[in-house]
Amino acid sequence: MSTAMNFGTKSFQPRPPDKGSFPLDHFGECKSFKDKFMKCLRDNNFENALCRIQSKEYLECRMNRQLMAQEPLEKLGFGDLIDGKSEKK
Amino acid sequence: MGGLWRPAWGRVVFCGWRWSHLGSPARAAERVEAFLRPRWNETGDAQWGLRRLGTWKRTSPRARDRAVQQPRRPKSTNPFTRAQEEDWRRRNKTVLTYVAAAAVGMLGASYAAVPLYRLYCQTTGLGGSAVAGHASDQIENMVPVKDRIIKVTFNADVHASLQWNFRPQQTEIYVVPGETALAFYKAKNPTDKPVIGISTYNVVPFEAGQYFNKIQCFCFEEQRLNPQEEVDMPVFFYIDPEFAEDPKMVNVDLITLSYTFFEAKEGYTLPVPGYN
Repeated sequence: MSTAMNFGTKSFQPRPPDKGSFPLDHFGECKSFKDKFMKCLRDNNFENALCRIQSKEYLECRMNRQLMAQEPLEKLGFGDLIDGKSEKK
Repeated sequence: MGGLWRPAWGRVVFCGWRWSHLGSPARAAERVEAFLRPRWNETGDAQWGLRRLGTWKRTSPRARDRAVQQPRRPKSTNPFTRAQEEDWRRRNKTVLTYVAAAAVGMLGASYAAVPLYRLYCQTTGLGGSAVAGHASDQIENMVPVKDRIIKVTFNADVHASLQWNFRPQQTEIYVVPGETALAFYKAKNPTDKPVIGISTYNVVPFEAGQYFNKIQCFCFEEQRLNPQEEVDMPVFFYIDPEFAEDPKMVNVDLITLSYTFFEAKEGYTLPVPGYN
C-alpha cells in the first residue's frame, strides 16, 4: 500500500515505536512468562483486559534481565494494576 | 441626462448594437443623443457619433481593432491627459513588476520550505511529529474507554528471499482504546546460516492507523537469528483513546496489524520513518 505510486492517494506512514525496538530474547529467559500470558489469553477468549497482570509480569521479566529499558510501570499503562497490588498486600 | 451614459461602457456595449436592441423609443432617443454628444476626450465631432451608431456600416469590434493595429501611442491628443496616461502606464509597469516578483518569491519559498522544515525538525528534535512529547505523559494519564471493544487481528508476512518462518502467536486480541496490550509473534530460522531480518508494519484500515501507537516492538531494526533459532517477538501497543471520539471511526471494529520481514543486506540501512 505504501509503495503504490499513486499521486494523491493517502499512503500509510509507518511510525517508529515510541520506545524503540525490543532486543531479541535469544535465550528464552522470559519464555515462561510469555507462555503464561498466552495461556491466559486462550482461556479468556483473547480478551486483553483480563490478562494484563500476565503482560505486566512479562514486561517486568524483560526489564529485570536487561531485555528492556527500565521504566516505571505507570508509564507503560499499568498504573491501576500497581495500586491494586499494593491494596491487596 | 440618463444614468446609462458611462464613457467606458459606451465603447464596449453600444459598439455594434443595432437599433432593435435599444428598447423603448424614449430611451432609444436618449442613447442616440449620447452618441451624438461630443466625447470627453475629443474636440467635438458629430461624425464620430454617427460612426459609432453604425450608420457607416463598419464591423462591430472596431475599437478593439483600432487599438490592436496601431503601435502603442497615447490614445489622446490632449497633452495633459497624455502625460497622465504616460504616468498610469509607468505605474502599471511598476505594479506588474512587483506582482511578478512576488509570484517568483512565493515559488522560491515553496521550494525552500522543504529543507527549512527539515532543519527546523532537527533543531527542535520533533522528528516529524507535530506534537512534541506526547507519548509517555499520555500513557500515564490515559483512561481506557471500556465500552468500545476493538478486535485486533494479526498478520505476518515474509519477503520471498527470506527463509524465516514468521507467524503471529495469536490470531486476534480484543482491546479497548486507552489500554496497553501485548501481542507476540514467533520467528524461526530453519536454515544453517545466521540471517538478519528487518521488518516494517502496516495497519488496516488506513485511517485507524494514526490511532495505533506502538510503545515498543521489533520493527525497523535489524534482528539477527542464529541457525535453527526460534524467538518470541513481542509488540507492546495501545490504541489512542481519542479513537472513540472520532466520528469517522464509529464503524471501525476491526484493526489488522500486519508485519512483513525482509532480509537485511550487508551495509544496507532501512530509512527509518521520520527525520532522524
